Amino acid sequence: MTLSQRLANWARVKSPWITVFNSGACNGCDIEVIATLTPRFDVERFGIVAQGSPRHADVLIVTGPVTKKQASRLRRIWEQMPEPKYVIAMGACGASGGVFRGLYHVVDGVENVIPVDVFIAGCPPRPDEIIDGVVACLGLLKGDLDHGGKAWRQKKTVEIPPSAAKPAEVTA
Amino acid sequence: MTETSLKVETVKEALSDLGTVEQVRWNRTKVTTTVEKVREAILRTQSILGCDHLVQIAAADNGKTFELIYHLSGPHRMIVALAIELPRDRPEAPTTSDLLPPAGIYERQIHDLLGITFRGHPALKRIILNEDWPANEFPLRKDWKMDPNRFYGGVHEEAR
Repeated sequence: MTLSQRLANWARVKSPWITVFNSGACNGCDIEVIATLTPRFDVERFGIVAQGSPRHADVLIVTGPVTKKQASRLRRIWEQMPEPKYVIAMGACGASGGVFRGLYHVVDGVENVIPVDVFIAGCPPRPDEIIDGVVACLGLLKGDLDHGGKAWRQKKTVEIPPSAAKPAEVTA
Repeated sequence: MTETSLKVETVKEALSDLGTVEQVRWNRTKVTTTVEKVREAILRTQSILGCDHLVQIAAADNGKTFELIYHLSGPHRMIVALAIELPRDRPEAPTTSDLLPPAGIYERQIHDLLGITFRGHPALKRIILNEDWPANEFPLRKDWKMDPNRFYGGVHEEAR
C-alpha cells in the first residue's frame, strides 16, 4: 500500500462524508437525520460531514421504502458514488418496506435495489442510533481495508446438490 | 367568524340555472352541476363571484361514478365547490386549464391515478406514477387490483 493510499484510508476512517437520499420516506427519518447534524448531537465533532453531492460522499443514508419511481434514481445515485461506498438503510421502511410493504407503488426494502451494509432499526431511529449506525459502518470500512475488499463478509451461498434436494411433498 | 362577505344568495343568483346550490358550511357553498355546464359555471364563478383562486380539484371514485369537485375561492373567503359526476364507462371531462392555469397539473394527476381524460389538455402526461407503469392501469379506482404476475415498473429482476 502506497503512502497516498494509506493517507486516503486514514482520512476516510477519521472523517466519513455522508449524503442522505429520501427514497420515499414519510420524512420522519429525514427529520432525525437533520437532528443528528444540528448542534444538539453535532456529528461533525466525530468528523462526519454531510455532503450535498453523492459524488463526494463515502456513505449513502437511504431513508424510507423505495418507491417504484425512485428505484432507478436511487440506483443511479449509488452508481455515481466513488468506491469504496457504503449504504445505510434507515428505519423499518428501509429494512423491509415497513407499513408500506406490499403496496402497489413500492419495491419494499432498499436491499431490493442496491446492496446495503448497515440497517438501523427504529421508526424513526433516534439520532444517537444513527450515529451508532455510522460508527458500525466505519467498523466495516476498517475490516474491509484489512481484508482488502468486501468479499470477506458476504454471505456464502451454499449449493445444494440435486440428490440432496427434497422433492416437494404431495399433500392431499 | 361565521359569515363571509359573499352571501349564498349571490351564488344562487349567479349559478342556480346551472344546478342546485346549497350552503354546506358557513364558508362553503356546493353547486351540483353537470359536465357540459362546468366550464360555464367556472367562468361565472370567476367573473360574477370574484373567485380568483383554485384551491384544488378533488376526484373520487364512489363505486358507481367518478366525482370531480372544483374548489374555487377568492378574497371573500367563501369556497365555491362545483361538483360534477362522470359515468364510469366514459370518464371524460373538458379541460379547465385554459381558464384556471393551476388546474392543468391537478388534471394530469387525476388522469394518472383515476384515468379520467380531460379533453383539450395541452399535455396530459404521467406525473405521479413511475414512467414504466403499464398503460390502462389506474390504481385509485375501486375495482382495480394488482395483478401479481404483471411487472409494474421499478427495478427489473436482472438488474438486482
